[in-house]
Amino acid sequence: MHDLINELKVKLIDLLNLTDLTPDDFDEHSRLVGGDLGIDSIDVLEMVVMVEKDYGVVINSQEVGEKVFSSLTTLADYIREHRPGGAV
Amino acid sequence: MNGQPVYIASAGIVSPLGRGLAATAEALRKNRSAIGPLQVFALLQGEPLPVGQVPGIAADLFPPRTHRLACEAAKMAMQDCTEPLDAIVLGCTTGGILTTEQLLRENESDKEAYRYHGLLSVAEEVAALCNCAGPAITVSTACSSSAVAMALALDMLRAGGMQRILVGGVDSLSRLTYFGFHSLQLVDRQGCRPLDVSRQGLAVAEGAAMLLLTTIRPEAPLAVLLGAGLSCDAHHPTAPHPAGEGALKAMQAALADAGMDPSAIEYINLHGTGTPENDLAEARAISTLFPAPPALSSIKGATGHSLAAAGAIEAVVAALAVSQGFIPGNTGCRQPDPALHLVPQTVFADRPVRTVLSNSFGFGGNNGSLVIGRADAPASAARRETRGPLAVHGSACLTGAGLKAATLAALQAGTTAAGMIAAEEISRHLPARLIRRLKRLARLSLLLATAAHADTGGRENPAAVFMGTGWGALSETYDFLTRLNESAEQFPSPTDFVGSVHNGAAGQVAILFNATGANVTTSGGDYSFEQALLAADHLLDDSAGSAMLLGADEAHSPLSPLLAPSPDPAGPLADGGGALYVNRDQQNARCLVRMPFYRRGPADGLTDDLLAALGGVDRVLSDYAAVFAGIPAGMTALGNRQLEHFLAAIGHRLPVCRYRRFTGEFASASAVAAVLAVSCLEAGLVPGALVGGDDIVVGRDRKILVLGTGHFLTSMEFFRQ
Repeated sequence: MHDLINELKVKLIDLLNLTDLTPDDFDEHSRLVGGDLGIDSIDVLEMVVMVEKDYGVVINSQEVGEKVFSSLTTLADYIREHRPGGAV
Repeated sequence: MNGQPVYIASAGIVSPLGRGLAATAEALRKNRSAIGPLQVFALLQGEPLPVGQVPGIAADLFPPRTHRLACEAAKMAMQDCTEPLDAIVLGCTTGGILTTEQLLRENESDKEAYRYHGLLSVAEEVAALCNCAGPAITVSTACSSSAVAMALALDMLRAGGMQRILVGGVDSLSRLTYFGFHSLQLVDRQGCRPLDVSRQGLAVAEGAAMLLLTTIRPEAPLAVLLGAGLSCDAHHPTAPHPAGEGALKAMQAALADAGMDPSAIEYINLHGTGTPENDLAEARAISTLFPAPPALSSIKGATGHSLAAAGAIEAVVAALAVSQGFIPGNTGCRQPDPALHLVPQTVFADRPVRTVLSNSFGFGGNNGSLVIGRADAPASAARRETRGPLAVHGSACLTGAGLKAATLAALQAGTTAAGMIAAEEISRHLPARLIRRLKRLARLSLLLATAAHADTGGRENPAAVFMGTGWGALSETYDFLTRLNESAEQFPSPTDFVGSVHNGAAGQVAILFNATGANVTTSGGDYSFEQALLAADHLLDDSAGSAMLLGADEAHSPLSPLLAPSPDPAGPLADGGGALYVNRDQQNARCLVRMPFYRRGPADGLTDDLLAALGGVDRVLSDYAAVFAGIPAGMTALGNRQLEHFLAAIGHRLPVCRYRRFTGEFASASAVAAVLAVSCLEAGLVPGALVGGDDIVVGRDRKILVLGTGHFLTSMEFFRQ
């Protein structure tokens, strides 16, 4: 579980070009979208693509998206529960 | 005398609804939606999404689909016109991209094959078709492009001197727009249902519409263009301001321009794309402005959203509505969304209509509204005041050498400034969070705008932005198409799509400065900065405050060697640009700028016309201290001939700088030349290194002429009071 969170931190820093952030300062519990990081709807869509491409998990409704992307922890949980092959 | 009326003499339209005015009106009468599954190009996987496509357009790669659509509509509009056109103003975002996408997939390396890529090529094609010798301007502000084009054309006519302008908009379907909007989850899989409670998005479409505007009353005008208003949300790259503040400001500006109260509007043609956010923001803006809104509808449930063409297509529909007396239905809307507090006209209705307000909004928070009236509408607009030249209060440039100081140092040292400044050097000056999603063009633009504003020594933020870019956002376009292809069309990038629009950079500049006034991006190849200057000169009136006027281009490997008509085949890739902080306040201005000449060639008499416009040989010799000449590498023979002709006429008695030898070859190099001219006037000196001789002292009464040569001959002049 913790490995997945660390992996996601690295991926998101790269994907969203959060160059002033290190994985260590990336708080997995803090608000991901609309918080201090300036992550907005376009970034959410970019993350949706990444989650589908890299983990085979499809997020196709805004309602689900809002819950999934509320923090890094919720994102990791969702991926773990829905990735092909089930929870690992 | 009231304001100069501007008539819509005739119009051409090619849309998913059909070809021509009669077919368009007939389709509207039937409330028929023309939206259906994509057929224009084959998909690698998945079911085709609903789109609005124009049947019967040849599938050949040359000329591209956009050019075919534009020419068909232009022919229609010009059918009965035997008089010469003074200018062409087009709204366009796609250019030849559909063809380019195919060529890139085939790894085509012959640059000749990409000659139709740029937006200028569409305007040039139409100019050649219509034999127009005036400027051919392309406005590229995403989905508001052709509304903005109409606002510009309207002022060009009101200013006097011009009598006929063909104005319009065109876009073809392309993979970029089809997958781009899909990646943003803005496409409704069930077609398009504007204002419906269950609407889920738009249907990407294509089409073209052209309107012949004239100041000379035709025997039977179709309608009158009464006013136009522009604004920018300065809020977000794609999402509208939630309260519709920008939309409200554009509508208010259009009504004020037409000299009308909201109560005079009898029909509102909505932007109404069918996305949840757009329709809500627009409805809020309308409720604010209209206590009891008139009849209103969006036709995009019938046509789909033809992007840059939409504003012109809907202006034609508005003209039909007033001339034939009808209100189009809001096709696709079954149950109006109660949250909107608006009830659209659901079906077509025969009813006299005197005045229409037509909205077009786009990415970059870019808004344009038009007021179109029946031919018998009284022209109530206030008379357009005569304006002085634009006053320059600050400047910045960026070249391979660096910002202005480094560029001027390179000049003094006699070395070249041509090249690409390192990416880290650009981002070093800009906050990381501000630019994290932006690629090279937007970063260059933000750096230029920041530096030009700093150079004013603390003046207020600019309220408007005018930007010319010849090549647009090459990095985002390339990255979008590359990822699309590499993922077999499965994972297009929403971020790259948003960044790929030509006006993305100007939208970022607006957000930086909270610049909620007009926001216009022009893309006219090597004349893009000149077009931005022309737009600023027309759309920045005395009351509009200050503007940031920029020209910028990014070089990109492998795209710019393929797509740009004028990269130096032997030299290194070069890019950069220039920015001027301008307004109408001449007090303490560094210098003034105006553009006395902009004509299309290659007629031999063109340089004589230029000389005449500048006041003749003696005047040129007495007024100017130096000539900065831009001869784009792709048009060397023609440009040299024009320059030689000009210099021979004045007996070679003015020092000349072929500035692209110093700046390098990129579309908006003339923006750097403009900043060099400003710097020379500030210093009262043209460095000898620039003109190949001794330093030249520039007297207070002397001007610097910046010439553009090639397919068009342009002149900008910089001078002091």
